[in-house]
Amino acid sequence: MELMNEIKIKSKNLNVYYGEKQALFDVNLDLNEKEVTALIGPSGCGKSTFIRCINRMNDVIDICKVSGNIEIDGVEINDKNLDVVSLRERVGMVFQKPNPFPKSIYDNISYGPKIHGKGETKSELDEIVENSLKKAALWEEVKDRLDEPGTGLSGGQQQRLCIARAISVNPEVILMDEPCSALDPIATAKIEELIDELKKTYTIVIVTHSMAQAVRVSQKTGFFHLGKLIEVGKTEKIFKNPDNKMTQDYITGRFG
Amino acid sequence: MSNEHTVKSYEEELRYLIDSVIKMGSLTESQLVDSMDAVIKVDKDSIDKIIKSDDEINKFRSKIDTQIMTLLVKRAPMAIDLRETISSLKISQDLERIGDLSKSNAKKVKPLPLDLPEELLGNLKRLGDLVIKQLNDVLDSYVNKNYDKAKEVWEKDEQVDDLTYIAMESVIDFLSKDKKNLDFSTHLIFATKNLERAGDHITNIAESICFLIKGEYLKGSRPKGKVIQQ
Ligand SMILES: Nc1ncnc2c1ncn2[C@@H]1O[C@H](COP(=O)(O)OP(=O)(O)OP(=O)(O)O)[C@@H](O)[C@H]1O
Ligand SMILES: [Mg+2]
Repeated sequence: MELMNEIKIKSKNLNVYYGEKQALFDVNLDLNEKEVTALIGPSGCGKSTFIRCINRMNDVIDICKVSGNIEIDGVEINDKNLDVVSLRERVGMVFQKPNPFPKSIYDNISYGPKIHGKGETKSELDEIVENSLKKAALWEEVKDRLDEPGTGLSGGQQQRLCIARAISVNPEVILMDEPCSALDPIATAKIEELIDELKKTYTIVIVTHSMAQAVRVSQKTGFFHLGKLIEVGKTEKIFKNPDNKMTQDYITGRFG
Repeated sequence: MSNEHTVKSYEEELRYLIDSVIKMGSLTESQLVDSMDAVIKVDKDSIDKIIKSDDEINKFRSKIDTQIMTLLVKRAPMAIDLRETISSLKISQDLERIGDLSKSNAKKVKPLPLDLPEELLGNLKRLGDLVIKQLNDVLDSYVNKNYDKAKEVWEKDEQVDDLTYIAMESVIDFLSKDKKNLDFSTHLIFATKNLERAGDHITNIAESICFLIKGEYLKGSRPKGKVIQQ
């Protein structure tokens, strides 16, 4: 018997609307601690919408309404009184397009810890910057040019910088929305290797359009279609022998 | 496969692979029929033809290997497509081995006398007929993706074991009647054993087909007939 990790995030009857249009329908999905969960499905099926619920990023979209529950460690986060800033400290996010701040590499990393009140002194910040860059497997490539702009790095390096930025505040969860879609195979391989390393410490959710990537990096996979979670299960099972015909049609390229 | 692939050439490549396995299967089947015929009729003239047909089967095998490698790198097949690809690989391996065994049996015809006892030939023929039927059924279940039929073949291997035992006994009986029979009796013993082995490859194919269809291997161990001491 393989041991399953404990549940870190639990969504219960999650419904999301953009104005009149419903984007998610009664999504019930458990995400295990220190595991990678991959979310797959055709464009517009609600993958990004789902992960944006986990750090309340949908709050910034005026017309977006969320109902139902999302629990992290058993605590409801879909709660008006919840401190969203500290939630986002616990739940970091990496986007499809690397989006470093137009600042130095050093400032890109130290910015988060500073506003969250971590790292009081310069030496504390130095340490956080170094550790984060090391964890993101970028330190060796940038240690001699920390004061150069983050935007001057290559795409793959920028994405690792964004991952370093996400882990600089020592989160518990990292959400990644198609983090490799703009990267070449080598940069992709580096990020995937990094994800493998990061999952020892963090709970990771990754949205991807690459089936092979989902197989490579994740332990659990959820398939969405038209706002519904169609099937979720062990990644191996989903890609070798899914239960649902729609899942099979999607992953084998028979959707139409 | 119910729905077609969005990419038409992918659909065609898979179809082509499956067709190759089916063609290889029917070649293997007719080679087995011919070699069994040659043994029973002690027909020494057909030996060369049977040996030659093995080359063609081997060629199929390497053609299928190439197709599979291309599919794997080009398409990275998933789910049913992955199982289809993997089972083609396994089935073609078993078919090739069955071909080798038919060839080996054809070679054994050369030293046989023309006046083998009826009973011995009868027992050998019954075993051969069953193995041929098993191969025919298993290929049928592959073509029609028929799980129950494949499972039936798998279960019926017990009967192959039993008939092997009976055929073996009549060869040993024949051998013990006259020491002069020793020479070609050993050939008959090997031929009988080869048929049993072909039966085992057929059950492997049945297992591959069940895996292909349901995505899980047949559980438990297959029923076993009388076991022949090696
Ligand atoms: N800000 C928004 N305003 C209005 N509708 C939106 C907004 N964001 C998403 N939607 C709608 O919600 C649905 C789900 O979108 P979402 O971005 O979650 O899909 P996705 O699965 O991430 O797709 P993709 O793979 O293309 O990124 C879509 O129909 C989309 O049009
Ligand atoms: Mg998206």
